[in-house]
Amino acid sequence: MAYAVSFALLMHRVSLKVTGAQGQGVNSVGEICGKGLKQAGYCVFGYREYMSLIIGGHSSYQIDVSYERVESSEVQCDIIMNFNHYGFEQHHTEVKDGGIFLHQTPMWKFTNEQNAYFAEHNITVMYLPVEEMLKKLKAPQILSNMYITSIVWMLLGQSAEVLKELVQEQFGHKGEKIVQKNYECIEEGMTFLAEHPELKPVEMMQPDPKWKECLYLTGSEAIGLGLIHAGCRMYTGYPMTPASPLLKYLAEMQNKTGMIIKQAEDEITAVQMASGAMLMGTRAATGTSGGGFDLMTETISLNGIIENPLVVFLFQRQGPSTGLPTWTGQGDLHLAVGAAHGEFPRLVLGVSDAQDGFDLMPEAFNYAEEFQTVVIIVADKQIAEGLYTQEPYDLTKAEIRRGNLVTDPAELEKLTSADRYNPAAKDGVSPRWLPGAKAATYCAQGDEHDAEGNVSESGENAIAQMEKRMAKMEALKKALPDPDVYGEQKSPDVLLVSWGSNASAIHDALKHEAFTKKKIAYVHYSYLWPLKTEKLHALAKKAKTSILIESNYQGQLGRMIRQECGLAFDHQILKYDGRPFFYNELVEKLSSALS
Amino acid sequence: MNIPLDSKTGPSMQEYYTETPCTWCDNCGDYGIWSATKQALVESGLHPWQVLLCFDVGCHGNGADKIQAYTFHGLHGRVIPFAAGAKLANPNIPVIAFGGDGASFSEGVGHLVHGIRSNYPMTFVLHNNGNYGLTTGQASALTIQDQPMNSSPNGIPERTLRSMDFVFSLEPTFVARTFSGDIPQMVEILKAALQHRGFAFIDILQTCPTYNKFATHQYLLERCKSVGEDHDTSDVKRARELAVDTSKSIATGILYQNENIPSFYEHLKPREGKKTTAVQEVERVDVSEWMWEFV
Repeated sequence: MAYAVSFALLMHRVSLKVTGAQGQGVNSVGEICGKGLKQAGYCVFGYREYMSLIIGGHSSYQIDVSYERVESSEVQCDIIMNFNHYGFEQHHTEVKDGGIFLHQTPMWKFTNEQNAYFAEHNITVMYLPVEEMLKKLKAPQILSNMYITSIVWMLLGQSAEVLKELVQEQFGHKGEKIVQKNYECIEEGMTFLAEHPELKPVEMMQPDPKWKECLYLTGSEAIGLGLIHAGCRMYTGYPMTPASPLLKYLAEMQNKTGMIIKQAEDEITAVQMASGAMLMGTRAATGTSGGGFDLMTETISLNGIIENPLVVFLFQRQGPSTGLPTWTGQGDLHLAVGAAHGEFPRLVLGVSDAQDGFDLMPEAFNYAEEFQTVVIIVADKQIAEGLYTQEPYDLTKAEIRRGNLVTDPAELEKLTSADRYNPAAKDGVSPRWLPGAKAATYCAQGDEHDAEGNVSESGENAIAQMEKRMAKMEALKKALPDPDVYGEQKSPDVLLVSWGSNASAIHDALKHEAFTKKKIAYVHYSYLWPLKTEKLHALAKKAKTSILIESNYQGQLGRMIRQECGLAFDHQILKYDGRPFFYNELVEKLSSALS
Repeated sequence: MNIPLDSKTGPSMQEYYTETPCTWCDNCGDYGIWSATKQALVESGLHPWQVLLCFDVGCHGNGADKIQAYTFHGLHGRVIPFAAGAKLANPNIPVIAFGGDGASFSEGVGHLVHGIRSNYPMTFVLHNNGNYGLTTGQASALTIQDQPMNSSPNGIPERTLRSMDFVFSLEPTFVARTFSGDIPQMVEILKAALQHRGFAFIDILQTCPTYNKFATHQYLLERCKSVGEDHDTSDVKRARELAVDTSKSIATGILYQNENIPSFYEHLKPREGKKTTAVQEVERVDVSEWMWEFV
């Protein structure tokens, strides 16, 4: 296995994968280990795979661990724990050389090929006597999770005492009896390991205490916190993976935040309610995935013409129609950029990870209000459900900018109805004021309209209003930041370009020694439309090779770049199997592109 | 009745006046509803800047700029959720949504169902003229089944939707019916609806002189009979019977009202005891306490 061979040269990282049927406790083991290792001073990245079923579908929870930043997953793991035998076929080749393959299926006989594979790759296979342990302790089924956790925890080189502290922390409120029962399971795990010296703990790197103070949270939670921080007071949605975790988090927080949360009867309702709330003057958002977004598009167009700020999340998954509902992808960038009829200004933002999942939220509202138009925030399943080790957020830097919103009574008194859509307004940004404000009133008019919002079908007026609105697009483009450049800033030999969640795997891969000595610039786009290409173009002129990395079939950002500045890429690394880029997979693909 | 036409102290009809000329057909029922709306707002003591009037798409929707107030003219079928979202953001502002029978019983029927079910604190005015007027007279779900219409010369094959039975099946908290030729009754109903705790559904039978040759002004004038002051608006069974049975006459007035059901907003736990509205709460929120939950 090429991946495994090159491992020794890679950054120091260790990975654990827990697999089994949905509902079996896979997430529970993964979560305790993930959070526990973070608290022990490691950077942890959590990655979940599951099927679009409630119970019984195959699922996994993988954590990748290091003392330095890690934000992607490896294809192969040091330890795989199988809750059931359905994973054997798929997962037995996903163990690294010298790794550990644990299971709890009694009397299981592996095939000759499987046994040969294990032997060839020096993989230790071990049956965990979970049922026997439960019988012995007269413990309920749920406690099998603690027994399994204790074994993998200690195989990851961690002490039973620390795990006990975690148990106290997590289950202490449930009473001493439950805590004690968990302790007994941990002790059984210790006994088992003592009896099986052939199971050797993985060699762990030294922890770095800086990670202890970090957060361990999903991208959805990061986005949710960011929305709350940004003064978003209402969120509407209709259940759809992978947008649902954001709705769930905000709903769970509502009694603390005071936010209005509405699970609507459909996505059209969700986006209409958010639009109405924004017209009234609060900050509201809505979110969905591709299919739901398709339903929202007519309303997005409406907000374009009435010049209403709106913030919409588009959480991508793979494929057309229902596609792969619980898997990731980036096939909806063109959708976000081109959605809805007519022409109107819009901003498309792409979230990359838990850092800008938080940081971009105030900016999304700021731009929406400053330019009085639609902001579409594109994310994906990888971000929505991936678990990041995240430095605590700087809570002092976010600005609340509301643009040309008039609230001062003296200023309101001076307004006339014709100020609302005044085509002569600088950059097309005319004053906006809110229902209930004592001022001249206007019509937020979905038909083409004059300056007051009265219907007008004259050609001259249609030109004036179209030019007014589209002037905002030009001004917006000027106001937006350039793309981020990582690595070589001035004269790169290699230019990488990507967006969204790919950034995490790219950052990890670029730490590989195959690349650290090369002059590589990674240009990362968070502000995707309107697209700024000056900086990119300058770097591209110097680079000998350019590589586009996207999780879609067509290289959608690449097409937009070519449309905007004529730049064509020498190589494209594209992926559309519903899986994110894995660390070592990307290392290989980049190496091959550069060889 | 005392309508302040031009008053220095309170709101006046003059304030709601706009120079935008009306574009409805002669004798269109929209004129009556338009007049009654303005009058009800004035008599409710509301200035144009104190209200939000939301219009669907259709002939009535072309009235969005024929009344000087904060108004909104949106998409076909979608006016209820937009108005509801606006209302939840600022419950201090009276919000009225206007929609036709095409929008409310075909394109956006789901929104009507959930608007009533959710009991949003708002008023919904159904411009019920039994057809799609603006698109030149196609059959709606409320058009009589065999009536030949534009694009259905043989009449529509579908059965007519029994709108009042349908609305009552959703357990509404306010149902009224009136007629576009009876301005005083419309005014009284609209005023009561504006005071209602939850979702007020007003079915206004509206004449369409161009496309609805059946329910004419004369026809409605002869058949509409007010339920009168003796009617018990708390009796849902009787109200439903009156609403559904139009064989001899059409009962008008406030048919049913229940003020004991809290509105959607009142049901929101996060808003309990809040003196501010979501509109007033836009500011940078300190999330440190919630952020540290993830350590």
